[in-house]
Amino acid sequence: MTGVLETRGLAKRFGGIVVADDIDLTLSAKRIVGLIGPNGAGKTSLFNLLSGVEKPDAGSITLDGKPLVGMRMHDRARLGLSRTWQNLRLFPSLTLLDNLLVAPRHYASENLLTLFLTPGAINRAEKVNREKAMAILERIGLADLARSPAADLTFGQQKLAGMARALMNDARCLLLDEPMAGVEGQSYTTMQKIVRDVAESGVAVCVVEHNVAFIRDLCDEGIFMFAGKMLARGTVEELIADPRLTELYFGT
Amino acid sequence: MEYFYTVIILIGLYVVLASSFNLIIGYGGLISIAHPVFYAIGAYTSALLSRDFGVPIVASMFIGAAVAVIASIALALPSLRVSGDYLLIASIGFQLGLLELIKNVSWTGGAGGLTNIPSFLVQSVGRETYVALVVVVAVLSVWLVRSIAHGPYGRALSAMRDDELAYSALGRNAIATKVSVFALGSGLAGFAGALYAHYFRYIAPEQFEILQSAAILTMVVVGGMRSTWGPVVGAVMLEALPQAITFLNLPPSVLGPLQGLLFTGLVLIFMFLRPQGLVPAGDLWRATGDKDAR
Repeated sequence: MTGVLETRGLAKRFGGIVVADDIDLTLSAKRIVGLIGPNGAGKTSLFNLLSGVEKPDAGSITLDGKPLVGMRMHDRARLGLSRTWQNLRLFPSLTLLDNLLVAPRHYASENLLTLFLTPGAINRAEKVNREKAMAILERIGLADLARSPAADLTFGQQKLAGMARALMNDARCLLLDEPMAGVEGQSYTTMQKIVRDVAESGVAVCVVEHNVAFIRDLCDEGIFMFAGKMLARGTVEELIADPRLTELYFGT
Repeated sequence: MEYFYTVIILIGLYVVLASSFNLIIGYGGLISIAHPVFYAIGAYTSALLSRDFGVPIVASMFIGAAVAVIASIALALPSLRVSGDYLLIASIGFQLGLLELIKNVSWTGGAGGLTNIPSFLVQSVGRETYVALVVVVAVLSVWLVRSIAHGPYGRALSAMRDDELAYSALGRNAIATKVSVFALGSGLAGFAGALYAHYFRYIAPEQFEILQSAAILTMVVVGGMRSTWGPVVGAVMLEALPQAITFLNLPPSVLGPLQGLLFTGLVLIFMFLRPQGLVPAGDLWRATGDKDAR
């Protein structure tokens, strides 16, 4: 099985701190990979390398065979790479619905010339995006809050909103950075179902998460990271059962 | 009556300048104060093309605006690639440098200014027509800025101002967004410059100095940044009030300083009493159809 997203020998260091050391990662369609490890293991840094926030020192990244290294962040997103953020990064000056409406993979009104020359196409694109955004909000259980300012949502709702925004891309590969931190009750169940449905629809999903139960129930494969290295991979159960990894996770 | 027309024309041109500057600094969040230099580029280009090269005035006005657009892209593209803060420094340098150049070459009329600029409409169909033209251009500019800033493009601008990293990660090109909004705002300023040149028929580099930057910035801030009507109110008020006190029949030695005081005083009053401006924009971005869109 070939991967949707593949990295080979990916490396990055900040001064003396190694955040990625020879990372070979393969994310495949319909599969959910969980990254676990203590804080500072390089999980979020890996997401930053993949999405283009940081440039790797060495190694390659491909999405559907296209090389991503050297490509700007927005171009990667336009190829179908979508991510969420640990600290959410919703747009506080926009409503929930408008947060989703700026997020489709292609945004017709981004170009001023198109805006002036083809107002009809812009209106049609807006209508299509609006319907799509409402459908996603419906699915995620936030449709009633569509017109609320994003900043007014509760933390759990904001997490779901970040997820909803990432879904507007119709991504080939979805990177989720701690989707469950601070999420409880109904939101927890909803999030779990959405992640599973998205994967089943053919998306390659990668999750960074500290909630072990969530990751165990959901992931097809777990990767244990420590000091920028992939120390072990297997099912999440196997990783949890390994006393050596548990020791690294909690420190001694 | 001629004086009255002059005031209306100046107010109209400042409405264009303040609205377009609001698009750049307010909606776009781009910190530049070089707006008058694009006003100057439009004015000088149109004046020189029509006076010395026989280009029809209407064509030279549009070319003036186009040259302002090109110059703004040439300024914004390299500086924005470095960082947002760099634009401010580069814009000040560009303004000072270009005005210095205008002062020191002969074909622009030098520091003494450019005279004998061909007149447009005034002699053929009358002053009223020119006043009407400026008013129409001002109304169109306000409408254009509003439909952009409160339409789908404005939604993207708002998101970009909030969080550029998240904006880029969604597939939006932040540099292209910024450069386009800067170019459009500068092009409008360029067109206003051309309109100025062919009515007053005399332009000098000192009219486009940093003091002019301060005036336009004040109109936007006092009126209300990021609202449609704020810069309009700001332009009318700050252009009309200093003109109005000329009717008080004060001696020129008092009048000049009084106008300066009025200007500075207004800024100080607003800074303390109403920092959000006369027409506050609100925290949330609104689409044009929304009843809360200002």
